[in-house]
Amino acid sequence: MRQKEQLIAELSARLGTKNVLTDATALSVYECDAAPSFKAMPDVVVFADTAQQVSDIVKLANKYDAPFIARGGGTGLSGGILSVQGGIIIALNRMDRILEIDLENERAVVEPGVVNLLLTQAVQNRGYHYAPDPSSQKACTIGGNIAENSGGPHTLKYGVTSDHVLGLEVVLPDGEIIELGGTVEETPGYDLRGVMIGSEGTFGIVTKAIVRLTRNPQAYQTALAIFETMDDASNAVSTIIGEGIIPAALEMMDSLVIRALEEAFAFGFPLDAEAILIVELDGIEAGMQNQTDQILEVFKQHNARQVDYAKDETERQQLWKARKSAFGSFGRLAPNYITQDGVVPRTTLPKVLRRISEISEKYQIPIANVFHAGDGNIHPIVLFNERDADQCERVEHVNMEILTVCAEVGGTITGEHGIGVEKMDYMPLIFSPADLQVMATVKHIFNPTGLCNPGKIFPTAESYEKLGLQPSEFLYS
Amino acid sequence: MHDELKHIVGEAGILPEAQIADYAFDGYVPKTVVLPASVQEVQDVLRFASKKTLSVIPAGTGTKLGIGNLPQKVDIVLALTRLNRVVEYEPADLTVTVEAGIRLAALQTELAEHRQFLPLDPPYSDRCTIGGIVSANASGPLRLRHGTARNQVLGLRVVHANGTVVKSGGKVVKNVAGYDLNKLYIGAFGTLGIVTEVTLKLSPIPGREAILTAGFENVQDAVKAGLNVVGSQTLPMFVNFLSNFETGGTTDGKRPTLIVGFGGDPKTVSWQLERCEKTMEQNGAIGVTIIEGEPRRHLHVAVREFAASAENVIAKLNLKRTDIAEFAARVVAEGSDRGVQVMALLGSGVLYLAVPVTPDTDFQVFAQHLTELRQSAMQTRGNLIVENAPPELKQQMDVWGPLGDAAGLMKQVKVRFDPSGLLNPGRFVSSC
Ligand SMILES: Cc1cc2nc3c(=O)[nH]c(=O)nc-3n(C[C@H](O)[C@H](O)[C@H](O)COP(=O)(O)OP(=O)(O)OC[C@H]3O[C@@H](n4cnc5c(N)ncnc54)[C@H](O)[C@@H]3O)c2cc1C
Repeated sequence: MRQKEQLIAELSARLGTKNVLTDATALSVYECDAAPSFKAMPDVVVFADTAQQVSDIVKLANKYDAPFIARGGGTGLSGGILSVQGGIIIALNRMDRILEIDLENERAVVEPGVVNLLLTQAVQNRGYHYAPDPSSQKACTIGGNIAENSGGPHTLKYGVTSDHVLGLEVVLPDGEIIELGGTVEETPGYDLRGVMIGSEGTFGIVTKAIVRLTRNPQAYQTALAIFETMDDASNAVSTIIGEGIIPAALEMMDSLVIRALEEAFAFGFPLDAEAILIVELDGIEAGMQNQTDQILEVFKQHNARQVDYAKDETERQQLWKARKSAFGSFGRLAPNYITQDGVVPRTTLPKVLRRISEISEKYQIPIANVFHAGDGNIHPIVLFNERDADQCERVEHVNMEILTVCAEVGGTITGEHGIGVEKMDYMPLIFSPADLQVMATVKHIFNPTGLCNPGKIFPTAESYEKLGLQPSEFLYS
Repeated sequence: MHDELKHIVGEAGILPEAQIADYAFDGYVPKTVVLPASVQEVQDVLRFASKKTLSVIPAGTGTKLGIGNLPQKVDIVLALTRLNRVVEYEPADLTVTVEAGIRLAALQTELAEHRQFLPLDPPYSDRCTIGGIVSANASGPLRLRHGTARNQVLGLRVVHANGTVVKSGGKVVKNVAGYDLNKLYIGAFGTLGIVTEVTLKLSPIPGREAILTAGFENVQDAVKAGLNVVGSQTLPMFVNFLSNFETGGTTDGKRPTLIVGFGGDPKTVSWQLERCEKTMEQNGAIGVTIIEGEPRRHLHVAVREFAASAENVIAKLNLKRTDIAEFAARVVAEGSDRGVQVMALLGSGVLYLAVPVTPDTDFQVFAQHLTELRQSAMQTRGNLIVENAPPELKQQMDVWGPLGDAAGLMKQVKVRFDPSGLLNPGRFVSSC
């Protein structure tokens, strides 16, 4: 980056000084996302209001060789918004307009800063919702969701963000504004819309999205089951899927999470329970009871000691509230935590959860589990105190071992939170140098200067060393 | 060339001369058709072709070779039909990994033993291969409920033009590690690499399936009734509009018809049928029929195979749902005396036309008609793709139409992935 003062002057002239933050205290708010173990200070934060402004900012960034990074709600969990090489953070939370709602075509056109839940709220009394529902949906934005290809509890049945986004307006890293995909389901040529989604903000900045809206189901059945052991609960999960039942959601919480929830919110869960499953069926009321009965049978087979139903929408919301409050309660368990995000084949869940508890034992680092069990998407919450250097070192080992287990059973190291800076060292666990080289090639096509969100996703020579592998001959980023 | 290829793939890996015609397309007969039996052989063929600057046309059983612009050069067809094993299938995970040359039908038979299926029903479902479906992003009526390959593929193994083997995605149902390059290869028509292995999500076979058919006085009524069902909580598997299309037995093709598919728990399906029947009656349907069992299967096959007609020009319009009625009415009105058949996947916004070609078809006029239709579609943010056509028509028009703002990026992708233009040159996104 060159001539920082001049860059700031040009940004201020273009956007007005009130939309340009340079004061150290103001900037410190922007030094991390929701994974506060990783921090980096930007040189400047700007607020954009239109695609044209974003494009202008990007062009200025190019002129001054400044890295630039889009920021949505800042709820990311992999350090995706970190300005690891300094530069400009482009805050998009003011671009929060819902531009069009077209229920007949089940579409909405939105700006990237629209908060996920607000889109659903805008259409729910007309019988629709936006299906991807990250647990952070009160704060995360559609732009961030697109960048991370986010999922949520209902991904099990309804798919991830990519399954619900048809078109994008994007400011490319050279400032050009283009459209990928469109309003209709298919457009000719390569599916660059699909490639853009999940690119973690490294292929450009999304300034508009055409998304699908989904008809609300006629009925729900939501139940919460309490198990004596983790094994019973995880076996129940793989039996349900194995029997060909695809619930709308199937979520699991372990005893540590139950304890934290009780301490923080007193939901009334038994403190001696080892695991809770929340299962939700949705769709047509007629015939739903059959599936519910099947699930109940599975629960019984696996020694569920108690099953509670939501009798109405209020009770349903109450059951979900427990799940959605989980993250808010971890502060009670330890000063710091890291949320892992591996995915494993569903049949391996019992084994993988046992391995995780062994890893926790071995390193004497407590691990809580609250996760999208139906997808096999685990979220081991690694609890520690960052002031304790010895703990921090053990946590490193814990992370590495957990992700290695995920890779070994044929899974992946992240199901929804992205690689960011957090997991780039572990990419070689699942991708060969040749695989990564293809990704680097595509990145280079979109982002040839590398100024757009640098220092993410790709492993470095040190990453290979850390894993005890030969450093790759490729230079990815 | 022959001897060297034989050295790579062996005697059994060269399709006998007499069968080469099966892989002819657009009036081109390939110089040779190789049938590699391993990924290594695929790599070696590509390296050989690269050295000799021969073009390689990846194929399965060849059912979709007709899709695309006229080829620049047809040297070697590389058919994956001998790479046809199920690599990994753990039914309780509801996922499967297969070699790309496995036929969809063969896979379905194996999955059905575990009451599971792959919910993709493109044209030529009896013969086509998984690799071909993925590369063409081919889909059928079921896409309303289950989406296309873009929603179902979890991972791919691909051999690039330079012979390198890479993977994208993985084997689990959720995965955001690295870029989602599956999307790049799906629908790329083999222009970026040869898909050799595919991991897919599966679905349980519904406990009961049924189709409801209804006839209507006119196109508008039929489309309106169909969209009513699509937009309701009835959750159909598909809602197809048909005009002038005889499906044998149940629909005579004389009047605009709706074919609505349901599947699920038997009780659920009863409720869906009842509800749908009511909607049909309220919208002026004439003669509602409910079809199950073997006749249902036949009818599903008939609509699935609509676009599988080599004799017709097949054009596919991608539209907003709300624009379908207007376009359907227009093409039905303009085409009925010329035997034009029409099918729309109402929920997905897809409108197919099958236009018969006769000895006195004037292809210049024909191309002009299709181009006008394409322009109308583009005015409402849709598009028109010609999926099947004789070379005479392809000489007159680009089958894909404009690629939009992203054309430049797409070309760069092609150049970077296949710098010497080895793979399927000229047919899809071209580097020039
Ligand atoms: C309590 C909690 C629960 C969570 N639960 C889930 C969950 O269930 N499922 C899930 O998937 N995730 C979950 N997350 C993670 C996080 O909320 C998601 O990754 C979310 O999509 C991030 O959105 P954001 O707007 O906060 O993005 P940010 O954190 O602001 O940014 C994330 C990344 O997106 C990029 N970005 C943002 N906007 C744009 C844009 N317009 N164009 C291009 N790039 C952009 C940024 O550069 C960055 O790389 C959770 C997080 C928390 C804190």
